[in-house]
Amino acid sequence: MSGENFQAHEIRDKIIIQYKYTMGSQSKFFIELKNNKKLLGTKCTKCGKTWMPPRINCSECYEPADWIEMKQTGTIEVSTIVWYTTSAFIKAIPYGVAYVKLDGADTALLQGIFSENLVPSKVKKGSFVKAVFLKEREGKMTDFFFVPEDEYETWINKPEYEGGV
Amino acid sequence: MPNKVAIIGVGITPFRARYLDKTYFELAYDATKLALDDSNKNGAQISHKDLQSTVYGIYNELFERQFMPDIFTNSYLGMNDKPGTRIATGGATGGYTVRMAYAEVASGLTDLCLCIGLEKCNDCYDEQTGTTTPEVLNAIAYSADMTYEYPMGMMAASSYVSMVNAHYEEFGNPTEEQMAFVSVKNHGNAMLNPKAQSPMKITVEDVIYSRIICYPFKMLDCCLYSEASAALILASEQKVKELGIEKPIWITGVGAANTDCFIGNRESIGRLYSNIEAAKVAYKMAGLDYNNIKNQIDVAELHDAFSGQEVISYEELGFVPFGEGGPWIENSFEKSGEGPWLDGELPCCPSGGLIGCGHAVGATGIMSTGEAALQIREEAGKHQVRIEKGRAISHSIGGPGAAYAAIIVMANEEGLKKP
Ligand SMILES: [Zn+2]
Repeated sequence: MSGENFQAHEIRDKIIIQYKYTMGSQSKFFIELKNNKKLLGTKCTKCGKTWMPPRINCSECYEPADWIEMKQTGTIEVSTIVWYTTSAFIKAIPYGVAYVKLDGADTALLQGIFSENLVPSKVKKGSFVKAVFLKEREGKMTDFFFVPEDEYETWINKPEYEGGV
Repeated sequence: MPNKVAIIGVGITPFRARYLDKTYFELAYDATKLALDDSNKNGAQISHKDLQSTVYGIYNELFERQFMPDIFTNSYLGMNDKPGTRIATGGATGGYTVRMAYAEVASGLTDLCLCIGLEKCNDCYDEQTGTTTPEVLNAIAYSADMTYEYPMGMMAASSYVSMVNAHYEEFGNPTEEQMAFVSVKNHGNAMLNPKAQSPMKITVEDVIYSRIICYPFKMLDCCLYSEASAALILASEQKVKELGIEKPIWITGVGAANTDCFIGNRESIGRLYSNIEAAKVAYKMAGLDYNNIKNQIDVAELHDAFSGQEVISYEELGFVPFGEGGPWIENSFEKSGEGPWLDGELPCCPSGGLIGCGHAVGATGIMSTGEAALQIREEAGKHQVRIEKGRAISHSIGGPGAAYAAIIVMANEEGLKKP
């Protein structure tokens, strides 16, 4: 049992697994994002619900959903600004994240919100945002982010970013 | 008809920031021994050899640095050659583990079952900051959707804050001050609980001016991650009689539900449908009324991982109508003042909850259930509340966007009889 003279032995370790992960039938979303700066959602062939993130089957109807191109403008449903976070993101603080409902979508997508003036009032519910894309894209969610509508021109004129389609 | 199931023993280790002198399975051993001792004080004469099966609540393999940590715990607890099953449902692991252990006994599969939760998170270590928490948070963040949400820097607080912020947009509460009341209450209650990690007498200002974590949650709005184990021994009615248990606490209702883990898919972000559904199912099974539950129970141990979450739980669990959670705690605060805070219309988290005790994820919901059981056994110690109806609930939520929820309703012998 532990007493006053107890001495702990600690071992340093890490767990690393590498992947080459298939996105399966969602692959088209990432390919179109990477190659053509398109944001694809899906629309149920039966109930008409649009899914974003996309799923090729409607989880409500158990019927197929078709690919559709979404608008690149949307509205913030809910947001926060993060000031303390995980080891993987701590160098990025403060950063904004929000659930954004793209115009015409039924569901909201989590994305980063970039702003020259990152304060709660700038990213509040109902704010209009537009997608900005990295010039160097890898086919990942980090290939794009949203900015307040009035900052769009500023962001797409930065050397590493560009506007969508 | 299911067999009646009772909690006959409760064992909870202290919740601590870090145990340098114990591994996760050693903590589990301590909790099991405490639960056996408690059963034996309660009239039984049993040892671990009498336990017929185990249900393990262990959330995160990355904390324990071990996949399938249950089987190594099984060995250390001397439970070889008996069934053992692990549950992992995020922060709701504890509540769900109680539900599954209940099912083992209610179904007649076993009639003496060990229901144990454990977690040891602070062996995670972030070399860049030289602290544990960012790496603990990273180990948790892998529970977010890895493709769409993890890359956005999603973590527990920024996920849970979404519901609180959406609730505020819809109803104008909880305000930062109303959230702070929860923190003052739960840190205050923890001062009466010797097993709690964060006992503190603090003011509303202390909370509001503590370090910002993610808007509008401040440091003191958030629970701390903890290390602990908690165990319950569950017995069938037959076994309760056979063992001569003096104060059985009957599990009268279990309810659970998972709402959409993608917050953006939910019809309304400002409420947890899982909580509402789990509560309705559990209360109905216990013969209680969702719209009158506040008057039918003596105490609730809630899942206050974040202060604002406790406030909206008041509504989802049926204590007050939607939109009235913030004003409810504000009124109670005006009557009770700064904590400890063990009376009022319905005492919530007399143990200190997660904010006061700490959050040892897999152990937490089992600690809450055990605390609620000890309350209606009137053996909770210094943080004992007044027991009149003989009924209590425990509540667990977890997972991405708090998608998982589980509610346990329990009653003492009197509580079974009273309307
Ligand atoms: Zn459909």
